[in-house]
Amino acid sequence: MFLFCSLEDGAMPAPDQQQRLAALRETIADIERKPALAEARVLVEQQGGAFPVLAGGMLQEMFTDERRNAGALLGFALAQARGLLTAQRQAVIYLQLADEAQKLGLPYGPGLLSFGLDPDALVLVRAANMGELLWAVEEAIACRAVAAVVADIGSHSKLLDFTASRRLSLRAAATGGSIFLLRYGQGREASAAHLRWRLMPVHSARARYDAKAPGPLRWRAALEKGAIIKTGTEFLLGWTENGFATLPAQRHHADRHAGRAALPRAVPAALADRLSQTA
Amino acid sequence: MLFLPHWPTDYLKRRDPQLKAPLVLYEPVKGGLRLAAVDAEAMRLGLSAGQNLADARAMVPGLTVREMDRPLLEAAFADFADWHSNASPLVAVMDEVSAFGDLVLDITGVAHLFGGERPMLRLLLTRLRDLGYTVAGAIAPTIGAAWGISHFARSQVVEAADLETILDALPVHALRLEPAQIAGLTQMGLKTVGQVRPRPRKPLQARFGASLLARLDQAYGMIEERMAPRLPPAERYAERRFADPIGLMDDVLMTCHDLAIQLAIRLEAEGQGGQAFHLFLYRVDHKVMALSVNSARVTRDPEHITKLFANRAERLEGEYDAGFGIDMIRLAVSSVSELDAVQLGAFSHQGVAEDLDQLNDRMSSRLGTMAVLKTQLVASHIPEQAARLVPTLAANDGPRQADWPVPLRPLRLLPMPERVAINAEVPDGLPASMIWRRDSYKIEKASGPERLGAEWWRSGQRLQLVPPKKPKEGETPPYIPNLPKFDPEAGTRDYFVVEDGSGRRFWIFRQGFHQQGEPAVWYLHGFFA
Repeated sequence: MFLFCSLEDGAMPAPDQQQRLAALRETIADIERKPALAEARVLVEQQGGAFPVLAGGMLQEMFTDERRNAGALLGFALAQARGLLTAQRQAVIYLQLADEAQKLGLPYGPGLLSFGLDPDALVLVRAANMGELLWAVEEAIACRAVAAVVADIGSHSKLLDFTASRRLSLRAAATGGSIFLLRYGQGREASAAHLRWRLMPVHSARARYDAKAPGPLRWRAALEKGAIIKTGTEFLLGWTENGFATLPAQRHHADRHAGRAALPRAVPAALADRLSQTA
Repeated sequence: MLFLPHWPTDYLKRRDPQLKAPLVLYEPVKGGLRLAAVDAEAMRLGLSAGQNLADARAMVPGLTVREMDRPLLEAAFADFADWHSNASPLVAVMDEVSAFGDLVLDITGVAHLFGGERPMLRLLLTRLRDLGYTVAGAIAPTIGAAWGISHFARSQVVEAADLETILDALPVHALRLEPAQIAGLTQMGLKTVGQVRPRPRKPLQARFGASLLARLDQAYGMIEERMAPRLPPAERYAERRFADPIGLMDDVLMTCHDLAIQLAIRLEAEGQGGQAFHLFLYRVDHKVMALSVNSARVTRDPEHITKLFANRAERLEGEYDAGFGIDMIRLAVSSVSELDAVQLGAFSHQGVAEDLDQLNDRMSSRLGTMAVLKTQLVASHIPEQAARLVPTLAANDGPRQADWPVPLRPLRLLPMPERVAINAEVPDGLPASMIWRRDSYKIEKASGPERLGAEWWRSGQRLQLVPPKKPKEGETPPYIPNLPKFDPEAGTRDYFVVEDGSGRRFWIFRQGFHQQGEPAVWYLHGFFA
């Protein structure tokens, strides 16, 4: 009350002060609404431009344009999942529909080793249909020993709608594990995911001794949704033993994609984005 | 011992009330149609099994005749036998003399649940008579004695002290003998068991074989006779009977939870836990439904067990049918081993592994055991053999050593390699372009080859283990008659890592060596991150 009176009586606060106040209020509101996101934003600010090390408790959608990019997409998800493994959370659960194994390929133990993930930490679940897959995602994320759940969904399903994604995002926020939904194609649907990435593979770097050979891998990840940084920010990423390496963006690649609309169905997706921010 | 002389006909009459007595079942025997089973009414009219069907028809004009369906009856009798495990866990079908009709129950330590042996026998018999079965029963110290008494005397309980007096009075048929042996004994004037027993054993064995003496000793308990119970014996179980039959799955699961708590208390007192749990639902109309779940870790946690059964029940969907209701539920545990009480520490990581195992159990119980898998690395350089997916229930620590090499391998592997078309600038050079799933890829970077040869030592073993036999004239052999000689070239693959213009990286291989004039066969095997 006293504070209120003093504001009324005294001169109005300076404009920059007002701005800071508004910003603080927004931060508080964000923390109340989405603790994980607010935390991530603070982290990103601290790390200054580098790809953020994201904490658990988030539902992240990861899109890539085509199924043939499946390798890169799984790599991106497992790279994030590896960062979430701790002594208390020892497992990553990977889920796939049983009939999509030949389309997308199955995670391969020796490949996981050479990627830098212990195959023992990964449990593969092959569900018969989408209903069972979603059940398994919920069951797995409810377990406190699970660091991340990676759901590889190669086809479109009616069951995976806004309500389902809302359920999953609440579950993830409640238990502190992360869910990564791997999706393919350019269409976007309304979803309650905290973050949505669009991932594309990029030319590998130069191999050290052989110019003709593929070198260290490169990905480009663009943030399409989620208020941790300005949406649309692109990262050019490398992957090392120690985690992600953020590389300076290559100009010509950014230009090539600037002209094209990222979202064919921009309007409904944008609407949904706002919906989940307030919900 | 329960004896149901007219079980096949009683069973059919119960299934189909339209069938009128007298009813007989026939089956073709050596070109003629002979009676295989008769009901009580037909027996009273003088018919018996083994008679010619035409004779029987002539003797009894209004005879109802059906063909015997042995597989159906055998399955039904097995169900019928299982249902009796609600009286005693050890039930066996005795099919030595006849395929149907003889049930043995080991009631050691069970009778007190029914108020003693006499009330138990009365309960079992009246229960079956109410269902319309003709039945006789006997409780005796030996299987042989019980069989003889139930077949050839009134239903009764025989104490060990009275065993000899009662057995001695029975005809020799009561010893489960072959027809030839019975005929021989009758010719000698030996009509009752009591007349056979004091005879010198050596001449008896010489004339009738050792089996006669064995039967005799089995009946009197001189040598032990074992039975083969139909259901695996479960030593630890909890059960509940219902005055009114229940039908809803929810009620079943609720009962299951109560039983799991009872079982857990018992197991805890003994310091034991189990890995396999079985839920038996006994239906009023003598059928048993069994559900089983497995746990990766020895457990006795009632919540976990109930959850597994709930998941298993979800998978049943249409298969669950309570019929006229379930009047008893039993929860049994097998694969029991020691499980000490553990003290949970605030910082212990032990709980983590347990949580994970329980999660895997829950997912396996709902999605199926083969749906929840773990990677097990195998010491093999063949890519698809280097990793094996095994159910988490069966997974154990693999043989992987820390010093195994870690070659560059793709993150995803296709279960079946797919054919691709590859063009190279020079025949044996690096691939330059690729066509896969009708898309063409311009390959900008490539490295290889990594040559992986066949496992010649395994092929050699196989050649030695299966020596080809000569097939008989005009016979198609069930095996491969001439195994191909080990061909190092056929199994050899050259692997390349290739990257296309957009940065996608594939793992492709060429099958066999490059040969002049023949197009090389290429496959796509995996995707790199």
